[in-house]
Amino acid sequence: MLFHDWLKDDSKIILFDGGMGSEIFKRGIKPGKLPDTYNIEKPAIIYEIHKAYYDAGADMCQSNTFGASYLNLQTYKVEDQIREINERALENIKKARPSNRLIVADIGPSGQFRPPVGNAKPDQWVSSFVKQVNVLEEGVDLWHIETMSDIEEMIAAIEAIKSISTKPIISSMTYKKTKRGFFTIMGDSLEKCVDIQEKANVDVIGANCTLGSDEMVLLIKELKNLTDRPVSAKPNAGQPRIDNNNRAHYDQPIKDFVSDIHEIIQLGAKVVGGCCGTSPDTIREIKKVIDSL
Amino acid sequence: MTQEQFFKEISDAIINLEKEKAVELAHRAVNENMNLLEVIEKGFGDGIRRIGDLWEEGEFFLPELMLGGTIMQESMDILLPKLKSGGENISSGTVVIATIEGDIHSIGKTIVGTMLSANGFEVYDLGADVPAEQIIETAIEKNADVIGVSALLTTTMFGQKKIVEILEEKGIRSKFKVIIGGAPVNKSWTEECKADGFAGSAVEAVKLVKELLNK
Repeated sequence: MLFHDWLKDDSKIILFDGGMGSEIFKRGIKPGKLPDTYNIEKPAIIYEIHKAYYDAGADMCQSNTFGASYLNLQTYKVEDQIREINERALENIKKARPSNRLIVADIGPSGQFRPPVGNAKPDQWVSSFVKQVNVLEEGVDLWHIETMSDIEEMIAAIEAIKSISTKPIISSMTYKKTKRGFFTIMGDSLEKCVDIQEKANVDVIGANCTLGSDEMVLLIKELKNLTDRPVSAKPNAGQPRIDNNNRAHYDQPIKDFVSDIHEIIQLGAKVVGGCCGTSPDTIREIKKVIDSL
Repeated sequence: MTQEQFFKEISDAIINLEKEKAVELAHRAVNENMNLLEVIEKGFGDGIRRIGDLWEEGEFFLPELMLGGTIMQESMDILLPKLKSGGENISSGTVVIATIEGDIHSIGKTIVGTMLSANGFEVYDLGADVPAEQIIETAIEKNADVIGVSALLTTTMFGQKKIVEILEEKGIRSKFKVIIGGAPVNKSWTEECKADGFAGSAVEAVKLVKELLNK
């Protein structure tokens, strides 16, 4: 299995892709539309984005399935399309994937919180993820559970995957920086999350979204001190600015983002890429840095 | 027990998230014919302000904020009817809030609503995916002081701007303070929308509404 070989190879830095949602938005998407439905409605756009990331040098890219768990689809009233949305996502990324590169199944949060914030129960999360994982298992090389703000939902997603698949798992929580350090919005510290992720025996422990690349440098420094497992980082390209045409812009210069990623690699991260606001251009520049190491 | 100790006990029950105790103290205040305005301000109000401070310090997170807000609401449900029957008007103001049309994200908006209620505002939460026209109709009907509009998506934020545009068209812009929120909202977007302010969290939203209404 290629991914395990990469993990074992000390000289290898694994290059992940960049933002999917922000790339779709650049190409225009109707307000309130779930980007995952573009797998069916605009497959050419999804293919084009995947291809651009692979062409930029990404070792692995993730399927456009961030929001395609049962519970999240239910919120958009398209849960009856769960099979088709996930299957078409696989078709789109398979077409774009060159040989010796990997396809990562993207699993995002359900959008449903547990009490007292919402009403979700762990078994609902698990069964929601199981429905999605069942469809994706056939076509992917590994899993990336990302942007989780509740460690309990992360555990539910890991449990769902492990009940079906033996493929590697990267688990990325999303943290905010508080005066007391990095915490999830639900109040779990980085330390606690890492401990639970280690016990859940995931292959790579990561963080993505919310934080810009500069704050991610600080988080990875702490994360490396907390675990011996391989570490992954997918920060945002700073914070968005909205222009007069109602479009989001990420003004952080690519060179600043890439310089932070360089630092993140030096701190010992094994997997690097980008989240919201990063593009194939960002990944191309990170590739240059990796090649120069 | 002195009055000050009683107020502190209430405030501590709120920040310790002890629902039964807070409810019991609210009943006791009613049964003992205490000055309920003072009980709310110096007891419950103090507790909810301390919750806000703990959030800002990074000590409290979403679950504590929600729990504190709901305990506060339950306590107010005991105190407010008594106050109103006694002829007191203790509402700090009326707020109509909603997540804009096309956007189904309701968590942030719900938390803002809970915290505003907990701080004594009369809140009408219209839910998510609500057309701008409907938000404005409700604001007129309820004689609201503040209209709060949430958008999580950069693709739905346009609706926030529409609120002000419609109010201007109708010639009733000055009747309402318009506040906006949601992950992509910032100062420049607030200016672009000609809104009266924005808040990055429920705690900031409470401060903002109080400032705007000079409370």
